[in-house]
Amino acid sequence: MTRGIRAAGAYAPASRVPAAAFEDAWGRFDAPGVESTAVPDADEDALTMAVEAARRALSAADAAGSDLASVAFATTTPPLAEEDLTPRLGSYLDAPDDATTRMYGGHTRAGVDALLDALDRNGPALVVAADCPVGEPDDRREHAAGAGAAAFLVGADAPATVEASASVSAPRPGTRFRRAGSTALEGLDVGTYGREAFVEPVEAAVDALEGVHADGDDGRRGSGGVTYDAAAVQAPDGKRPYRTGLDAEAVAAVETVSELGDTAAASVPLGLARAFEAGHERTVAVAWGSGAGVTAALVTGSAPVETSLSADRTLDYPAYLRRRGDVVGTSPDGGAAHVPVPTWRRSLEQRHRHVAGRCPECGHVAFPPAGACPDCAALVAFRPVEPARTGTVEAATTIGRGGAPPEFADQQAKQGAFGVAIVTFDAGEGAVSLPIQVVGEAEVADRVRAVPRRIYVEEGVPRYGLKAVPVGQ
Amino acid sequence: MRDAYVVGAGQSAFGSFPDESYRSLFRTAVEAAVESVPNGFALADVEEAYLGTLGVGGRQLGLPGPACTEHVGLDGTPVTRVENACAASGYALRQAVMAVRAGMADVALAGGVEVMTDLSDEAVRYWLGVSGETEWERLSGTTFAGVYAQMASAHMREYGTTAEQLSAVAVKNHDNAAHNPKAHLDFTCTLEEATEAPAVAEPLTLYHCCPTTDGAAAALVVSEDVVEEYTDAPVRVAGVGAAADRVGLFQRDTYTAIPASRRAAETAYDAAGLDPAALDFAEVHDCFAVAELLAYEDLGFCDRGAAGDYVESGATRPEGDLPVNTSGGLKAKGHPIGATGAGQVVEAYDQLTGRAGDRQLDDPVVGLTHNVGGSGGAAVVHVLERADRREGPA
Repeated sequence: MTRGIRAAGAYAPASRVPAAAFEDAWGRFDAPGVESTAVPDADEDALTMAVEAARRALSAADAAGSDLASVAFATTTPPLAEEDLTPRLGSYLDAPDDATTRMYGGHTRAGVDALLDALDRNGPALVVAADCPVGEPDDRREHAAGAGAAAFLVGADAPATVEASASVSAPRPGTRFRRAGSTALEGLDVGTYGREAFVEPVEAAVDALEGVHADGDDGRRGSGGVTYDAAAVQAPDGKRPYRTGLDAEAVAAVETVSELGDTAAASVPLGLARAFEAGHERTVAVAWGSGAGVTAALVTGSAPVETSLSADRTLDYPAYLRRRGDVVGTSPDGGAAHVPVPTWRRSLEQRHRHVAGRCPECGHVAFPPAGACPDCAALVAFRPVEPARTGTVEAATTIGRGGAPPEFADQQAKQGAFGVAIVTFDAGEGAVSLPIQVVGEAEVADRVRAVPRRIYVEEGVPRYGLKAVPVGQ
Repeated sequence: MRDAYVVGAGQSAFGSFPDESYRSLFRTAVEAAVESVPNGFALADVEEAYLGTLGVGGRQLGLPGPACTEHVGLDGTPVTRVENACAASGYALRQAVMAVRAGMADVALAGGVEVMTDLSDEAVRYWLGVSGETEWERLSGTTFAGVYAQMASAHMREYGTTAEQLSAVAVKNHDNAAHNPKAHLDFTCTLEEATEAPAVAEPLTLYHCCPTTDGAAAALVVSEDVVEEYTDAPVRVAGVGAAADRVGLFQRDTYTAIPASRRAAETAYDAAGLDPAALDFAEVHDCFAVAELLAYEDLGFCDRGAAGDYVESGATRPEGDLPVNTSGGLKAKGHPIGATGAGQVVEAYDQLTGRAGDRQLDDPVVGLTHNVGGSGGAAVVHVLERADRREGPA
């Protein structure tokens, strides 16, 4: 039984801002090779994107979150600078409480590091990398900044395996960093020094792969002796990967930076997912992290993939600035609906998975599953039932600017109007109706899908739940 | 069981009054109620008081009852705050009627007060969302406008109700408010203006929504044993009905009706021994235009699904078969949350006693008030009658 990658999932936000929008605004665009970048919605972050990718990886493997023995999450942009996000990621996926969980971060090779570590664990292991870097508006890193997530289910009898791996490091400070307490990436942009800080460790790591593996002439040959037909390489922009000695065609075959932008810790995982999607059988994955260090792996075979990387809307530059919060004032002090954190915690199964309850007396399915049965009024202990993720709108409206409760004012300032609907979801032999926010708009009878989103932030604590997107998005 | 009678009712003007406090507004309402009693009334006669208020803005959330009654000199009189969201003072009246009928008091005061216009827009939106289901419904991103808009969307889908029919409610109630010197929005609007106004929560436009309002109202309720001391034209509380329901719309069996309204009305009609055909007028809870349409159906004024046609028929205009919201309703008279239910009683009392000025109907005998809390988590209906005008045995 060969342990390796059983399946992959990938996700990117649906909005894009084209390079031309930056050129119009600034008279220049400083992210070579980037044609557009993926822009998270105002209620998306690394955790929600991670759930999106993870769900797809599990689906591609026809596996359930409850099967997982471990969950690893890699990001350089956690929504909280300190707090373990894997318990909430696991809750969304219904992972067992005793699953091993690990967080990786602090540099952009974290995603590939997490993947290689998972190979050494036992049992089904989920590895997710999600990132949404940010820079100052006039900075090249912001021009490149994208968003996306990729997830891998690692386990036995895998169609894709890691044949070799290598890691190298070389002290090269200052090329890409984020100060403590800051959200914006920086870099000193010292020409040759910066390029060498990237290229030299990348080539060294690939060369190190050669040390453990060198065979055949049936594929392309890079700077080392490793053969491959695809190269998923760290892409802080769309030019730097091609500065390495790796085969340009192999890099271009699976790159995502030109469309999604710099996806940081998810950059190489996304490339690997794309390689699987294209059926490449030998993929070299080379993840660079500033500082600098590189982790490289040779992946042979291809795993099933489920992806959602396409765009469905284009933002102009003002809309992009709104979305980033660059032109949005401070949140108004109107007060938020106060749900104390302990109360919120008690409802996490409902927030994250819409877990409803079946009445043992009459069979009615209740949401939330608490209190007396809404149908027979018996005070019962409900039996958990998880509704479908796709449902039908029963009632709907659109909340325009100024119509939202204060806790949604910031989201609305960034994103604009949103829908609010009551949606019925099949649940076991019954159905449940829930109030749910719609990303965009929906009308009665529309079909919608429940997706992970941040609901609001109160007392500094992001509260996550499910929202709805019209089916097809 | 003793009968209870409304012998006086009065209100402050409804509107935006930066120079007033919740207590000064309450005083104005109480003084107007006292002034309205035909044979005179001494406040010291009040043995029991009930005050409806939500406490918008967080003002005097504890003990607002004594804070108001002490301001009008009712020191020592027991007073109880009643909070059922927008139905607070409708329920306060019901409490007063219960106290009188039970024999605990011969004279009771039921009032309500709210101040809503001295807050920032964001703070108002916070308070407009506190009476919905707060853990799920509100956190889907909606306040009451959104919830009623969802009901409108479902009603339009199921019955073909149109935006113009929603607007017809607004046009009628603005027309009525233009004749009410106490109304907040005392101007008229056209069907086109109402339909094409900016959306607040689709399909509801600005004209389909009530304003946020400052105001107070009060009613004086006495027993049959003492009623003749106060008036020769008594307004009998012929029927009272109340019902609760699930707080969140999503938890109910229907989105195209307010079941609590229907149940409250059935109880009130049974108690009064009449059906909707006997009504001469009604003050119904029209916080949003769709709410008045739902009320037509829930209260039995028309068939289920027929409310849109019913309003367009003109039946509920002052000259129609069943005038509704001659005061202007919540839509145009205004909606100071805690004062709204008592304010409906003021209009009913004025209509039944010939005090309604330009809005006066022709010697009405039976009127109905209908007050809803939240999106239907609570409802209360009162049937009031001039027994002396009723033909046949009461």
